[in-house]
Amino acid sequence: MKIAVCIKRTPDSETRFRIGASGGAIDEAGVKFDMDDFASYAVEVALQMKEKAGSGEVVVVALGPDNVQETLRKAMSMGADRAIQLKADAVPFDGLAVAKALAAELKAGGFDLVLFGKHAFDTSAGVVGTATAELLDFPCVTAVSKLEIANGKGTARRELEGAAEMVEFALPAVVTIDEGIARPRYPSLKGIMAAKKKPLESKPAQLGPVRVAVKGMALPPDRPPGRIIGEGTAAIPELVKLLQTEAKVL
Amino acid sequence: MTAQSVVFLFVLAIAAGIFALNVQRLVSYLKLGVAEDRTDRPWARLSNVLQIGIAQTKILREPIAGIMHATIFWGFIVLTAGTVEIFIQGAWSGFSYERVLWHPLYALYAASQDAFAVFVLAAVAFAFYRRLVLHPRRLEGDRIEHLDAYVILGMIAGLMITLLLANAFLSVVQPDAVGPEKFVSRGLAAPFANVSARSAFYAYRTFWWAHVFLVLIFLNYLPYSKHLHVVSSLINVYFSNTSWKGERAVMRPMDLEAETESFGAADVEQLTWKNLLDGYSCTECGRCTAACPANLTGKVLSPRKIVVNTRQRLMEKGPAATGDGMAFLGSRLVHGENHEAAESLGNGATHRLLDGYITEEELWQCTSCRACVQECPVSIDQLDIINQMRRNLVLSESRFPAEIQPAFEALERNGAPWAFDAADRARWADGLAIPTMAELTERGERPDVLFWVGCMGSFDDRAKKITVAFARILQACGIRFAILGQEEHCHGDPARRMGNEYLYQMLAKDTIDTLNRYAVTTVVTSCPHCFHQIGNEFPQLGGNYEVIHHSTYIDRLLQQELVPLRTDEGRRLTVAYHDSCYLGRYNDIYDAPRETLRRALPVVNLVEPPRARDRGLCCGAGGGRMWMEERQGKRINIERTEELLATGAETIAVACPFCMTMMSDGVKAKESSVPVLDIAEVVASQLSAT
Amino acid sequence: MANILVFAESRGTDLRKVAGEAVSVARRLADASGGGEVHALLAGPPGIAQKADVLGRYGADVVLVMEHTALATFARESIAATLAARAKAASYRAIVLGFSAQGRDLGPRLAARLDAPIASDVIDVQVAGDALTVKHPAYANKVVVTLTVTGSPAIVSIRPAAITATESPRTARVETIQPGTDPAASRVKVTQVVEGAKGRPDLADAPVIVAGGRGLKAPENFKLVEELADAFGNAAVGATRAVTDEGWRPHADQIGQTGRQVSPQLYVAVGISGAIQHLAGMRTSKTIVAINKDKEAPIFKVADYGIVGDVLEVVPALTSAVREAKKGH
Repeated sequence: MKIAVCIKRTPDSETRFRIGASGGAIDEAGVKFDMDDFASYAVEVALQMKEKAGSGEVVVVALGPDNVQETLRKAMSMGADRAIQLKADAVPFDGLAVAKALAAELKAGGFDLVLFGKHAFDTSAGVVGTATAELLDFPCVTAVSKLEIANGKGTARRELEGAAEMVEFALPAVVTIDEGIARPRYPSLKGIMAAKKKPLESKPAQLGPVRVAVKGMALPPDRPPGRIIGEGTAAIPELVKLLQTEAKVL
Repeated sequence: MTAQSVVFLFVLAIAAGIFALNVQRLVSYLKLGVAEDRTDRPWARLSNVLQIGIAQTKILREPIAGIMHATIFWGFIVLTAGTVEIFIQGAWSGFSYERVLWHPLYALYAASQDAFAVFVLAAVAFAFYRRLVLHPRRLEGDRIEHLDAYVILGMIAGLMITLLLANAFLSVVQPDAVGPEKFVSRGLAAPFANVSARSAFYAYRTFWWAHVFLVLIFLNYLPYSKHLHVVSSLINVYFSNTSWKGERAVMRPMDLEAETESFGAADVEQLTWKNLLDGYSCTECGRCTAACPANLTGKVLSPRKIVVNTRQRLMEKGPAATGDGMAFLGSRLVHGENHEAAESLGNGATHRLLDGYITEEELWQCTSCRACVQECPVSIDQLDIINQMRRNLVLSESRFPAEIQPAFEALERNGAPWAFDAADRARWADGLAIPTMAELTERGERPDVLFWVGCMGSFDDRAKKITVAFARILQACGIRFAILGQEEHCHGDPARRMGNEYLYQMLAKDTIDTLNRYAVTTVVTSCPHCFHQIGNEFPQLGGNYEVIHHSTYIDRLLQQELVPLRTDEGRRLTVAYHDSCYLGRYNDIYDAPRETLRRALPVVNLVEPPRARDRGLCCGAGGGRMWMEERQGKRINIERTEELLATGAETIAVACPFCMTMMSDGVKAKESSVPVLDIAEVVASQLSAT
Repeated sequence: MANILVFAESRGTDLRKVAGEAVSVARRLADASGGGEVHALLAGPPGIAQKADVLGRYGADVVLVMEHTALATFARESIAATLAARAKAASYRAIVLGFSAQGRDLGPRLAARLDAPIASDVIDVQVAGDALTVKHPAYANKVVVTLTVTGSPAIVSIRPAAITATESPRTARVETIQPGTDPAASRVKVTQVVEGAKGRPDLADAPVIVAGGRGLKAPENFKLVEELADAFGNAAVGATRAVTDEGWRPHADQIGQTGRQVSPQLYVAVGISGAIQHLAGMRTSKTIVAINKDKEAPIFKVADYGIVGDVLEVVPALTSAVREAKKGH
């Protein structure tokens, strides 16, 4: 089975962000970057599928400047077989523009399955995976919490609000991966050494026109400080009163 | 040359030959291990042999069993002189030292033989009693064989009895051959005084040959017994690195540049010859396991088992690997059990030391407290084997408890083993006017000392209070110090302890770069793990700094009377100080924290728990266990907390942020209100108001 | 003058709350673009047409009704094809939908089919000449990004419960619309829809959420959280990651950075310490109440009202008090 996983290099999700001087980007000073969390789940899913099938190839693809090569190497140290860098000066916020570049690359790849994270931590938009699927004219299943592939067919579970949807589809397909499906493996030193020798191809990205652009960034307003109104059950009458009169939620 | 001499020499040649072959075989197995050079520091090594080996210092840590063994050991040494005499007699009939020694010396020698024969016999009798009747706990478990012990004890007893009886009958046959110094032998001869000379002679010869045979059988039994330690233990003590006065216990360095398919140790040939020699030297005494905090709280880890397994596996693999033709004996060559290990791995995985004998579960239960290494009378380094196997699990196979993966990832991304925002690292210092190295350097200044805060002290709410307390003390004493602030990140020790040498070296090297960039020479820290890592292990990677733990530092400040203390003595407080393993067993720092408490609280009543100083029970957080779930047995920190609370102390004092966490949790779990304080906090509370 | 197309999400024959919000936003956009019509697509099984007047209440001028038995489950490809065909046939300034589980699936499909720019998870939309300016909480709610969306139609996917639905009532014209592709012939077949806990609103819709964390000590104690939720009447039950990782609650209940992000009127955090990852999921709640044994717990820094105490004692007492208070209503 030939699986492609599209990954993204994003800031560490624990970072406390500051806005840069221009007001249009985060201040990257001191910020650590790594593979996006959802993308790493997708890589893990792909690796587990390949292991279960006993054979196959896992190709990781990332769009961006040369610093994404580190992220691609990380995927290979987890076990991906080869990597493709679609070189671009920056990764636009416009998911459709990115999807066009990816679709152009993946079209001739002969992939049975193309995996994405359900969304990336930085843009939090969830556009690229599904848009790429449409451009490839592949069936697309988004945000799966369970996935099984067998005999060219797939079954998946998607979480809805207050319910869950079970779906079936045929390969080739695009699937975006939600959290909880797999814990990304920690690369062993052996894997890291091996990754250095695996092929990483770099080619220019054929980005679409960028029509969604960042105008500005700001930190969310701080909540006004609250207060501890008391201890134990004795504080309850006061709480109820405040909820009724002040907060007006009761 | 009599016929007897010929027979004797023939028998000796055979026995010696077999023994030599066995020794050669055992040595060839050692060569399967990785080479390492331990030819350095011969005088220090010899000193260890004299103390630990000859003077039995570690054996004597347990008084009763210690005297028992020391008696047998010293008896063995003294009686060896006699054995040599007997063997020379075998070739050269009628030989006696009396012919060559100055008489008083001979008399002393002769008396010593008899005396020690009796002492040894008495010790052996007690040993039998101990094993058969008293059943000490450490002689149970790990499927060790008692039969081996009984055989040995029986043979030693036999040796003593045959010696005494031989001399007894000799004194009947040839009274002047056995001087009055051998009063026991002479005494034993009394009932046989009227036996015919011929009978007495045959009896003498019988017991003489019995003694010789016992010696030769004993000698050749050694390679198949845990008593091999008789041959190997002094050599093992010589080559050990576990007891250096003035030098500290560091983890084995690792060259990650080496072109290798495998990292760490999964099987015996990936351990060093010294680890394998440790296997030969283990007497299965169980002192290590009895002191192990994991084992004594009901976990499967047993340091003894680790070493016994190493030997078993070597015996299993050695014949095939060296092609010495002994494979037909299989693991029957090994005393003790675990041959089933060969069949236990049903899933087709390779049978090897890791998984086949020693399980992942055992390896991860270790807190690296070093109690096992401390107790071992033959200087075995159990921890070294555990660490090498952890390295294999992590670096080669990425196998480790799932809950430590976030710690590895956080270290990589965040420079700390928890998911804190790196930008918050120096927040504890807000409002305290503490300069950073960067700020001072910009002003062209240098501090007297760098205060290395550590990740606990930077991020953990409780530990931050320790940091602030120590900073206040430094400021009160007018010490010019600085912190690295946000330029500080973990030195990688947690990763190293958990086997992730790659991640460790990355973090450590970066830390060394930062320290060197600021030309740091002196560091003070309130965390024993930081203290040990930066001070003792950084030199392996080229970082050499003078590092002082805050207990030592504060003690010095107090001694120099630089600390402005309140004049009132306060009330008499009963305090139990809990020894940190990385301060105590690793670095011999027991007194500084106690002295700090005494100097700061003149009327303090320091009480010691039963297990204190180098016998101190670990809090349970070392060896990376701070990040792991405890899944078996009783919680180690509860065990220690109970012990500390039982002293009746009103306060528990610690000198380590990990111990702080574990003891605080323990006290909470026991629903006690006894406060747990760091010594810095105790001193800070005594600072005068100005 | 510009028309706005809306996808009014429904499940079965029920309209989803975000549908009204989407129509409301579309109405404002239409009005801000010199007046225009709001056309809302209402797709569902037979009977869905009855919901058309609800859409009219929020400002829809035209409701395009698509009824088909196969639309009892989400026919993503068919709906995408229908909307795309409509958008190609008629001219729309923007297409508005909700950033719900299904909306996230649908939006990018439209973007690709129409080669239209898309802004997701939007909490504010303004017309700025030829472009739209939107606000979107990115970096797991840590940074609010203002984006310029250029091009027409522009697809805007709004965050549920972030923009209050306002009424702008009119009688909507109902038109039948033919599906762009056969709803029964999707390459992604829904084989089953598993309903969640009945009788409680979903986390995305609930005005009150009671969430439990490790402080509850044992999974059995979660019933205290459920009882408090029941006392409020219209509350959903959530959980922290610590608790879902342990298996006490299903993963779908997890509120936090990698779980659900919620914004109710009232959020009651029971036995939750307030780790940053959890706060990322609920910090935009209007009112936050925290109950925790540890007065140093970070949750108290974001809570409007906090009670320090044993949750096992406080929560049952609070449940009684809430029931009493509700009796008067």
